[in-house]
Amino acid sequence: MTLSLVLSLLALALVRGTPILLASLGGVLSERAGIVNIALEGEMTAGAFAAALISFFTRDPWIGAIGGVAVGAAVGFALGFAATRWRVDQIVAGMGINLICTGGAAFGLIFVFNQAGVTPQVPAINQALWAMVVLGIVLAAALQWVLSRTPIGLRLRACGENPHAARAAGIDPLAVRLYASAIAGALAGLGGVFLALGELNLYSDGMIAGRGFIALAAVIFGRWTPLGAAGVALIFGLLEALQFALQGNIAWLPSDFLQALPYIAALIALLGASGRYRPPAAEGKPYP
Amino acid sequence: MLDDVDLTCEAGEIHALVGENGAGKSTLAGIAAGELSADAGEVLRDGRIGLVHQHFALIERLCVWENVVLGHEPRRLATIDRETARTFVRQLGERYGLDVDPDALVEDLPVGIRQRVELLRELARNPSILILDEPTAALSPGEVERLFSTIARLTENGVGVLVITHKLDEVFAHAGRVTVLRRGIVVERRPIAEITREQVARAMIGGDIPSIPPHERTNGAVVVRVRELAVPGAIENLSLHIAAGEILGVAGVEGNGQSALADALAGLTPFRGSVERPTAIGIIPQDRLVEAVIPGWSLVENAMLGRERAAAKGSWRIDRAAARAQCTAIVERFDVRTTSIDAPLATLSGGNQQKLVVGRALIDNPAFVIAYNPTRGIDIGATATVHTELLAARNRGAAILLISFELDELFALSDRIVVIARGALRGEFTERRFDRDAIGRLMVNA
Repeated sequence: MTLSLVLSLLALALVRGTPILLASLGGVLSERAGIVNIALEGEMTAGAFAAALISFFTRDPWIGAIGGVAVGAAVGFALGFAATRWRVDQIVAGMGINLICTGGAAFGLIFVFNQAGVTPQVPAINQALWAMVVLGIVLAAALQWVLSRTPIGLRLRACGENPHAARAAGIDPLAVRLYASAIAGALAGLGGVFLALGELNLYSDGMIAGRGFIALAAVIFGRWTPLGAAGVALIFGLLEALQFALQGNIAWLPSDFLQALPYIAALIALLGASGRYRPPAAEGKPYP
Repeated sequence: MLDDVDLTCEAGEIHALVGENGAGKSTLAGIAAGELSADAGEVLRDGRIGLVHQHFALIERLCVWENVVLGHEPRRLATIDRETARTFVRQLGERYGLDVDPDALVEDLPVGIRQRVELLRELARNPSILILDEPTAALSPGEVERLFSTIARLTENGVGVLVITHKLDEVFAHAGRVTVLRRGIVVERRPIAEITREQVARAMIGGDIPSIPPHERTNGAVVVRVRELAVPGAIENLSLHIAAGEILGVAGVEGNGQSALADALAGLTPFRGSVERPTAIGIIPQDRLVEAVIPGWSLVENAMLGRERAAAKGSWRIDRAAARAQCTAIVERFDVRTTSIDAPLATLSGGNQQKLVVGRALIDNPAFVIAYNPTRGIDIGATATVHTELLAARNRGAAILLISFELDELFALSDRIVVIARGALRGEFTERRFDRDAIGRLMVNA
């Protein structure tokens, strides 16, 4: 294998890994605050669809990108609101959000563009692709620092471990969880923007393709730390890149299997991780 | 819950708040500290009121200094100034005799040290009043002494300390004033010099204390024989035997192998060595809500747990009528106070829940009983019922293993006491010649 081939493989791994990375950072943030986030998939979908939609109508991809992040944040806020103010079961709420977002995007395609499956081509920010890759890695490092070194990070972790103790220390666990969930939605939305406007210039049904759930696996396998999750997300990206590289080169291996590779890897990783890694103690438990 | 209660705690005094479980002590503490709100009345605070909960409200996976400074972190620019935080914890510890490693993870610390962390956390906020809710429930005798010397330092510094307890020994050894709460009403309040133990006890339960029937020593055959028991990480080479009609007390500080011993004898954990015991066995687990009951289920259902066969019709169907009759029998004999046997167990007070658990373990007259802290956290009246029934079971010929963190309980009930420390037996006391000091030393030094 030549050096240039290896480099192009690694470059592809970074590109494929970044949307997973961004969503997994959101997952880390909300789960460390105590909210199980299986809505990452829906938040990515909402972000990607909104970005393409807004870019189409404004003809300005940057407004589209910002809009995608904002819609992701709004969906995250909705999850946080349901989980904190209404004390809805977080798994059920997350599942509902996933269904609403994927279904809503599919409906929106027909309602707005009068065509199923895919938007027309929209103005994109492909030139900023690498800037977003770098942004993702910088965000991972920054989040790691915030969680481990700053007062707000300590308070956020406290809310995920024991909200009652946090409350006694004068912290409002409901507010912390709500905002953590909203920021998580923004990060997952950014992952969707990356797919729709960074790599491509459209939204199509199924384009998220389970990346939100893979990001969730990265959260767990990365032991709920930003850098850990980012590293695992990039490994999943590498698997996706490998799948592209190998496709058509190994005659006896069906391409379906290669496409399934990242998902199989996520499953095996979770099997290995289950029981060994402990989630935040109060994760998924409504407060008060 | 509470009705027209007034309570004052002054700077530099130790005020004991006593009462049975369910009397409203913890509710009152929560209201005073501002964690709960009252329907009527007001709380006047001169400064901050700190509250140390009975079940420590620490964040287990954070380290000591993180727990202590949470919410008022010292800062250096945008980050937490860790060095200042560590020094702060050390200095506070030195000042009050609460030395803890600031970087230790709370989950790695034993109960006694965790309490120090909780005290440090409250003291870090400069309270003028500190409320301690059942602070000695899980401490060894040495740790209790230490705690009260810390409390003495606090009062010297002008902090008022309100101690919630039902241990009258501690009240009379350390408190300046005592307030007795019964069913949400203050029934007695006096300086400690002007009241006797008996008066306090009577005020707490609103009548005479039920007396424990005398021992009737019966020399039965040995029915439980444990040889060279080993449970990895908990017990090494432990041998003991219990005769029919004998209560063997196991003294020790929490976390020295008692749980593994109980689980091995109950068949709940794998072990090496040999255990001979009767198959008819009654178990009173150590943690009621975790191991003994399902709080949302009714009394009838809880009374059946683990003994479903006793209420079975044929080989597979539950006989509801028989189950109800058996539950009623337990409720009547063990004095479980409830509005209905169909009520969820969670609606009962802790003491009444525990009476049901004890009744369930003893009703079928098992030949062997494992009782693990059978009266932990329950009131005097319920404790007396449990003690009476354990002795009655013994007098009917049951062999009883009594594991308790309360020496008074062991002394009152045991025919023989063994001391467990770091997973091995360190001493045996027979013929009811129990030496409190010697046992206390073996518990901690071994």
